[in-house]
Amino acid sequence: MPADRPPALQLRGLTKRYDDGFLALDGFDLVVPEGEFFGLLGPNGAGKTTLISAVCNLLRVTSGDIEVFGHPHGTMEARKLIGLSEQDVNLDRFLDVEETLLYHGGYYGMPRARARARAKEMMEVFDLSSKAKVRAPKLSGGMRRRLLIARALMHEPPLLILDEPTAGVDFELRLELWRYIRRLHGEGTTILLTTHYLEEAEELCEDIALIRGGRLLARDSAQGLRDAFDAETLADVYVKAMAAA
Amino acid sequence: MSRGLAALTGREILRVLKLWTQTVMAPIVSSFLFILVFGLSLGGRIKQIDGVDYEVFIVPGLITMAMVQAAYANNSASVFQAKFDRYLNDILAAPMRAWEVNLGLSLGGVVRALLIGAGLLICALLVVDVPIREPFVLIAAISLALLLFSSLGVVVGIYAESWDHTAFVNNLAILPLTFLGGVFYSVDVLPSPWEELSHVNPIFFLVQAVRYGFLGTSDVPVGIALAVTGGLALVCVAWSTWLFSTGRRIKP
Repeated sequence: MPADRPPALQLRGLTKRYDDGFLALDGFDLVVPEGEFFGLLGPNGAGKTTLISAVCNLLRVTSGDIEVFGHPHGTMEARKLIGLSEQDVNLDRFLDVEETLLYHGGYYGMPRARARARAKEMMEVFDLSSKAKVRAPKLSGGMRRRLLIARALMHEPPLLILDEPTAGVDFELRLELWRYIRRLHGEGTTILLTTHYLEEAEELCEDIALIRGGRLLARDSAQGLRDAFDAETLADVYVKAMAAA
Repeated sequence: MSRGLAALTGREILRVLKLWTQTVMAPIVSSFLFILVFGLSLGGRIKQIDGVDYEVFIVPGLITMAMVQAAYANNSASVFQAKFDRYLNDILAAPMRAWEVNLGLSLGGVVRALLIGAGLLICALLVVDVPIREPFVLIAAISLALLLFSSLGVVVGIYAESWDHTAFVNNLAILPLTFLGGVFYSVDVLPSPWEELSHVNPIFFLVQAVRYGFLGTSDVPVGIALAVTGGLALVCVAWSTWLFSTGRRIKP
C-alpha cells in the first residue's frame, strides 16, 4: 500500500456502552491497511460483532472515530465502500434470490442495468442461478449463507466484512467459500473476518487480532502470535491470551 | 429521487403487490360489505343526514377508515418485520440518508392506502352515487391522513417488540376511534356530553375533512378539520424523523 493512501479501516478510541450499561468496546484502536486479510478472534461477547456493527452504522457509537478509506464511517462515501455479511442470516423474506441482489444494488445506488448484470454474475459465482426465483425462507442453510455473501459483494465493495461466514456451514461449502474469499483478496479486496474457527483464521488471515472484553489483547501474523506466546498452535495462543486477559 | 430511495420504495410497493389479496383486496371487500349491509339494507330506514342519503353519507368515512388502517397496518408490519428479521440492517448500512429510509419505508403504506381508496370508491360508485364536491379539500385531507397514519405506522413498527404491539394500537386505538369518529353518523345527533367528547377524537376531524371533500358537508368547519389532522401529521412525521435521524430504538 502506498504510504499516502489511507488505511481501509481505522478506529480511534472506539467505545460502545449499551443502554443497559454493558461496556462492549473500551477505547478500541485498530488500523487495517488496504488490501489486508485481517482476522478478529475472541470469545462470544468479546466485542467482535459490536465492532463490526459500529463500522457499518448499525449501532450508536458512544465515543471515538471510525474512518473507512479516510472517510468518516457515517458518510455516504464510506458506506458505499463496505460490504457486510452478518453472522445471523438476515435476508428479506419477501424477496427471491434475484430480487435480494437487485434491491441491495439499488440501496447502494447501482444503476438498474448494472445491478442486473452484477446479480447474474453473483448468482453464477455462488451457484444460485437455479434458485433465482426462490424466496429466501425456502433456501437451504448453505444457500442462504451463499446469498448473504453474494449480497455483501453485490456493489463491489473494496472492504468486505465477514462476521462468522462459515458458522453452521458444511465442510465442503466452507472450503468453497474459502476459495472464493481468497480469490477476492487476491484481486485486492480488503477483508475483515471474524471467526470462531482458529484453523480458518490461520488458513486465511495475514494478520490476526485477539480481543476480549472490548479490548485488543494481541495482534500479529499467526506465526508472530505463536512466537510471542511461545505456543505451538494458534489454539494454544488463544488459550494463553484469554487466560491472561 | 435517489436510486436508494427508489429501490426502497419499490421494495415496499413490491411487498404490497405480492400480498395483494391480503393487503388490498381484503380491505376493499370488507369495507364494501359495510356499504352494502349498513348503507343499502339499513339506508332505507334512516332519514337523510345533512341532506344526504345515508348510503352516500357513510361512504367517505368508510373509505377514510379503510385507507388509514391500511397505511398504519402496512408500515407497522413492514418495519417490525424488517427489524425482527434484521434485514433492516441491509438498509441501515446502505448509503441512504435517514430521511430517505424514513420516506421509503413510509411510501409502501401510502400506495397501499391509495389502491384501497381507489378500489373502494369504484366499488361504491357501482351501487351508490357518491359526488366529489370539493376535490382540492379531498386531496388535502387524504394527503394529511396518509402522512399521519403512514408515519404512525413506522413509529409503532420501530417501538413494537411483538406483533401484539402493532395489533394493539390498531385494535384498541385506531379502530374504536374511527368508529366513534362519525363514520356511521353525524355527531350533531349525539346527546351531550357525547357530542362534545367526539371533538377530542382526532379521527373525527379526519373523517369530517374527507366527508367535506366528497359531500361538501361536515360537522365542523373544514379548516379546523384540516388543521387538526395536519397538526397530528406533523407530530408523527417529526417523531419518525427523530427516530431515524438519531437511531434511537432502531440501533442499539
